[in-house]
Amino acid sequence: MYDFDWSSIPGALPFLWQGMKVSLEITLNAIVVGIVWGTLLAMMRLSRSKLLSWFAAGYVNLFRSIPLVMVLLWFFLLIPQVLQSMFGLSPVADMRLTSAMIGFALFESAYYSEIIRAGIQSVPKGQAAAAQALGMSYSQSMRLVILPQAFRNMVPLLLTQAIILFQDTSLVYVSALADFFGAAYKVGDRDGRLVELLLFAGLVYFVICYSTSLLVKRFQKRKTA
Amino acid sequence: MSYHWNWAVFLSPAPSGDTTYLGWMLSGLKMTVTLSLSAWVMALILGSIMGVLRTVPNRWLSGFATAYVELFRNIPLLVQLFIWYFVLPELLPTGMGNAFKQTDPAFQQFFSAMICLGFFTSARICEQVRAGIGSLPPGQKNAGLAMGFTLPQTYRHVLVPMAFRLIVPPLTSEFLNIFKNSAVCSTIGLLELAAQGRQLVDYTAQSYESFIAVTVMYLLINVVVMLVARQVEERTRVPGYIGGK
Amino acid sequence: MISIKNVSKHYGAFQVLTDCSTEVQKGEVIVVCGPSGSGKSTLIKCVNGLEPFQQGEILLEGISVGDPKTNLPKLRARVGMVFQNFELFPHMSITENLTVGQVKVLGRSRDEAVEKGLKLLDRVGLKAQAAKYPGQLSGGQQQRVAIARALAMDPICMLFDEPTSALDPEMINEVLDVMVELAKEGMTMMVVTHEMGFAKKVAHRVIFMDHGHIVEDASKDEFFGTPRSERAQLFLSKILHH
Repeated sequence: MYDFDWSSIPGALPFLWQGMKVSLEITLNAIVVGIVWGTLLAMMRLSRSKLLSWFAAGYVNLFRSIPLVMVLLWFFLLIPQVLQSMFGLSPVADMRLTSAMIGFALFESAYYSEIIRAGIQSVPKGQAAAAQALGMSYSQSMRLVILPQAFRNMVPLLLTQAIILFQDTSLVYVSALADFFGAAYKVGDRDGRLVELLLFAGLVYFVICYSTSLLVKRFQKRKTA
Repeated sequence: MSYHWNWAVFLSPAPSGDTTYLGWMLSGLKMTVTLSLSAWVMALILGSIMGVLRTVPNRWLSGFATAYVELFRNIPLLVQLFIWYFVLPELLPTGMGNAFKQTDPAFQQFFSAMICLGFFTSARICEQVRAGIGSLPPGQKNAGLAMGFTLPQTYRHVLVPMAFRLIVPPLTSEFLNIFKNSAVCSTIGLLELAAQGRQLVDYTAQSYESFIAVTVMYLLINVVVMLVARQVEERTRVPGYIGGK
Repeated sequence: MISIKNVSKHYGAFQVLTDCSTEVQKGEVIVVCGPSGSGKSTLIKCVNGLEPFQQGEILLEGISVGDPKTNLPKLRARVGMVFQNFELFPHMSITENLTVGQVKVLGRSRDEAVEKGLKLLDRVGLKAQAAKYPGQLSGGQQQRVAIARALAMDPICMLFDEPTSALDPEMINEVLDVMVELAKEGMTMMVVTHEMGFAKKVAHRVIFMDHGHIVEDASKDEFFGTPRSERAQLFLSKILHH
């Protein structure tokens, strides 16, 4: 049986916490951008302009058909090059975090836009008609009537997607970016205690995600009670 | 931009000598497809069993299935993969563990990847199956029991066949997801499509072409899967239900 | 044949059935009626063990339904049940619906089962629909198939749980006609229904339930002539105005 030795963990906690901060930063950034850009995409998809709806549909379908790993690699390997040749910047290692955040946000927006689109479509058509009858413009009726209702219906799904997003941040590993998982791997590798650190990382993720999902369920129950 | 486009790079011979760069891509594609299909079969079998277990009256069985789902749903796929690849061989009895570690590394990678994807996806399929069975009218179970079927017989002849016909669309999504998730397995060195894409970028200087080619291949997988799914949906339509004849 | 003795059932804090007792002899047709929520559907589901009960005893041809040692599937195979929502198996053709129980539960050969199934289908007037699927039939047709499906098992008695409540008015009669014929042939039947015309025609006894109690249990003539309880009188006056 394997000889477990958990002694590496206490000493590494500050370093692991730094990694967790990166994970949370990427998650939050992707949620905010995801919801904003996702809402715009959803509205474009539902608009009457063929050009806008085709663009939005193409964007969403593209990002939903390819793996996140690919998108992260795209942004990690290509974007710094592009930005450097465009702005003449010197190669800076910090592009990794920025490019990961951009790639993440663009990717997750596609998923958020599908949730939001379904949410908008779930608002009864009579609501839009009533808003128009009152003389509201399109953007007013969206902002004041449709979107608030749509979002209220979607909160559980948005939260669940956020949990998935948080788990997805572990993939920035492919950009050699030290998020929580990357940090855990580094410590394990350095101290030869990979087994313990991987299990510890799994446990931490489990606790965070499971408790958040329980909160979401409780929130859902209270809403429908 | 000082980038030189060169699409012919795919036909140039690869450093390994035996094939072109295109050959590398195709071998990556083959690996992705093989891995995904094997994991899918495992996930379908396991997921269906777990999905049924989640709906049975026995509290122990349904609780076990719930714990199973929560475990695989709340840990990131990458972390699960690393645990299967690095941790599991250490936790096996020393004889088995050593035997595994001595096999061909490519086999170790494939095997860990397949098991990881299999369990991960089975938890998601379990939820689809549970939702499918849950959406059936409760009278169906009663009708089966009233006829003299035991509960297992009722599941086998009445509930499960119908539930599976209902969940073909979400199962198709899961099937697509497995192909996408297979890319994560490149992190343990498995030479599937995403890994080959990365190799190409490293060896040629043609990063744009490589990435576009890999993206196109993933899109192709999508298209094929959707075509197959449409066929399956047509064959399994139940008259009288939405989408039925 | 069916003996219900002091049966009580509760769901948590809610008392569904209280001290219900009655007997059904072979060949008798019993109609169970009452306002919704009176427990009549629950009572009939207790008879073949689809609903468990906490107190009392139900005997089917001498076999106790509530006894944990009883082989319920075997018992249920001998009791036919027809549901409010027909509950045909949508993924099977009509013929398959009729034969699956015969083959898998009774162990008959496929040919035997098909022959019997088609004969019964003919009897309810639906032989032409044999190859169709439930989703392609009307409600009344589905319910007649459901009756044939139950009869295919050669049951000793038939239980009906509001068989016409989910049907459009013009289809109610086609189902009731089949049930009337069945009654005339001497089948033991326990029918939960609001269709008092049916009761008047073929019932031997009528049971009236309210809030989980059996309030009246009288012969047909007594019940329709001079019901004893006020509650039953009120109920009858409300529904007999159709």
